[in-house]
Amino acid sequence: MIYGDKNTGVLVQGATGKQGEFHIGLMNAYARQVGGKGVVAGVTPGKGGQQVHGVPVFNTVKEAMKEFDIGAAVIFVPAGAAADAIMEEANAGIRTIVCITEHIPVQDTMKAIAYSRMEDACVIGPNCPGLLSPGEVKMGIMPSALFSHGNVGVISRSGTLTYEVVDELTRAGIGQSTVVGIGGDPVIGQTFVDVLEQFGQDPQTKAVVLIGEVGGNLEEEGATSTDLPIVSYIAGISAPPDKRMGHAGAIVEGGEGDARSKIARLKKHGVPVASRVSEIPEMVRELFRHQC
Amino acid sequence: MKLREYEAKNLLKAAGIPVPAGFLIRSADELTPRLGELGTAFVLKAQVDVGGRGKAGGILMADTATGVKVAKELFAKQIKGLPVKEVLAEQKLDIEHEYYLSITVDRSSKQPLILFTEAGGIEIEITAHEHPELIRKVAANPLMRDLPPFMIRELLGKAPKEIGPVINKLYQVFIGKDAILAEINPLVTTPNGVFAADAKIIVDDNALGRQGITVNRDLSEREREAEKHGFSYVELDGKIGVIGNGAGLTMATLDLIEFYGGKAANFLDVGGGAESERVMNAVRLVASVPSVKVIVVNLLGGITKCDEVAKGIIAAGISQKVIVRLAGTNEAEGRRLLSEKSYEMLDTMDLVVKKAVEVTA
Repeated sequence: MIYGDKNTGVLVQGATGKQGEFHIGLMNAYARQVGGKGVVAGVTPGKGGQQVHGVPVFNTVKEAMKEFDIGAAVIFVPAGAAADAIMEEANAGIRTIVCITEHIPVQDTMKAIAYSRMEDACVIGPNCPGLLSPGEVKMGIMPSALFSHGNVGVISRSGTLTYEVVDELTRAGIGQSTVVGIGGDPVIGQTFVDVLEQFGQDPQTKAVVLIGEVGGNLEEEGATSTDLPIVSYIAGISAPPDKRMGHAGAIVEGGEGDARSKIARLKKHGVPVASRVSEIPEMVRELFRHQC
Repeated sequence: MKLREYEAKNLLKAAGIPVPAGFLIRSADELTPRLGELGTAFVLKAQVDVGGRGKAGGILMADTATGVKVAKELFAKQIKGLPVKEVLAEQKLDIEHEYYLSITVDRSSKQPLILFTEAGGIEIEITAHEHPELIRKVAANPLMRDLPPFMIRELLGKAPKEIGPVINKLYQVFIGKDAILAEINPLVTTPNGVFAADAKIIVDDNALGRQGITVNRDLSEREREAEKHGFSYVELDGKIGVIGNGAGLTMATLDLIEFYGGKAANFLDVGGGAESERVMNAVRLVASVPSVKVIVVNLLGGITKCDEVAKGIIAAGISQKVIVRLAGTNEAEGRRLLSEKSYEMLDTMDLVVKKAVEVTA
């Protein structure tokens, strides 16, 4: 597993909001199931002293850090306040920051990520479902029932498409080490390269499924940066140019980042690319047969 | 959202970047009383929301004698299918050299990326493709308020120093106006100094509110309607309507339609936690497109309740066939409700898509 384990205390920023409250409940239900620490503290400015599902809420991240051992944070605050939340956590010394919030202006994201780099913090997201290491920890909103413990890592720019892939893997008897949703925005903290570097140092992870989509060329950058065997899938082969397909990052700009050329480049580097999601489990099995 | 040339130039002008003298007209008659303002020869530029407007006949030369006639001609045109409603009348520049300057968001370095080349003008895309070495690039830390002089020197090379301030001012516009692209092509030198002869600015859709932009012009009417409901929606030209939750899963559904030889009519991401009313609105919206013959609903997730989705589909009461794939909470109840009304529900996305393609073949 990467980015955290059972013993990672998690802080939720935006704890008293509808989303924050709902997902603290689910994250801690998962923590109880696997015997982990889960969410130990919440932060909402002005709501310090309250409790959410028994979790104490603080006004600032630094106040929460004084009381608890916190290794990671999950952000559910609205778009206008999310970049500020990222920087507050980085400044307080939290090293893994998962930002679920979508629709953050990209200028804000760039600033928050530049600042987090200076503070040595990893940002996952924004506009992502977070991460889940089966049997260890869930930081975010992924539906844990679909996951199973194993040695395949999954990295994806998408949310529900990730669940679809995980569901297919689990049904095929292929468990996962850690599943990371890196986010659908054009600028994100941890990219394929960064997460693959983490997987490269993780003895549990033997192969990786890389789920990309139209826009940019970070999938290729990632796939060529690692020695781990990879199976890939790229969504958006039917996406027209200059149309934003839901995700702000899923747009083919001036002929750059279309799915067909992305797939062709991956194949050129020897990375097998599935043409349908349902082909992925068999292709992973094939990897294990030949390479692992 | 892409700004029109005159809007972009107003932003540049306010930031202190010289732009040619000019004014906007909404009819040829508006030009008559102002004919003398721009000198004898001037340029008329159609303000339409498409690229490649010059090659499509949207930019015409005129003078005080022919001006009104040429303006009438331009207002009567369609540029790539769009009517001309606004025309920018501009002073003609005495151009010595054309440069290219732009700032974009670089996904890889996660920073603003500034590009500059001496080889500006309409052939910039060919230059970028065939001689990428001619384009100099610098990524700037977004926490800096100003570009440091060394970055500007690196970009300029042997180009005239008077361009330097324009680069920093464009950076201010890029940051201050929430741009995802700010481009001056060409940036020209003349005997009277440097001018932004054309300008293109795209504002981040996630920042339209704080930039005071209330209507996103890049969206069609139906796309705007969808946005009100909180859906991401894109119109395409096939017969199979698509409703999914999550951008990636919806895109993958579209791709699967293509894989099986069909064509999607749209992309609609209904978002997370879809309750019955949202689903009903989504189904009705897609069904309102005349070309849609069948609708594929592909919803998956932990928080999506299948019985709610089923109720929404039934409440929409549309005439087209709906084929459903649902996975999540209360799956059995959703299945029961749908089968009671004889809707088709299949287990995997491959199966629903295959079926939809068969129906429309």
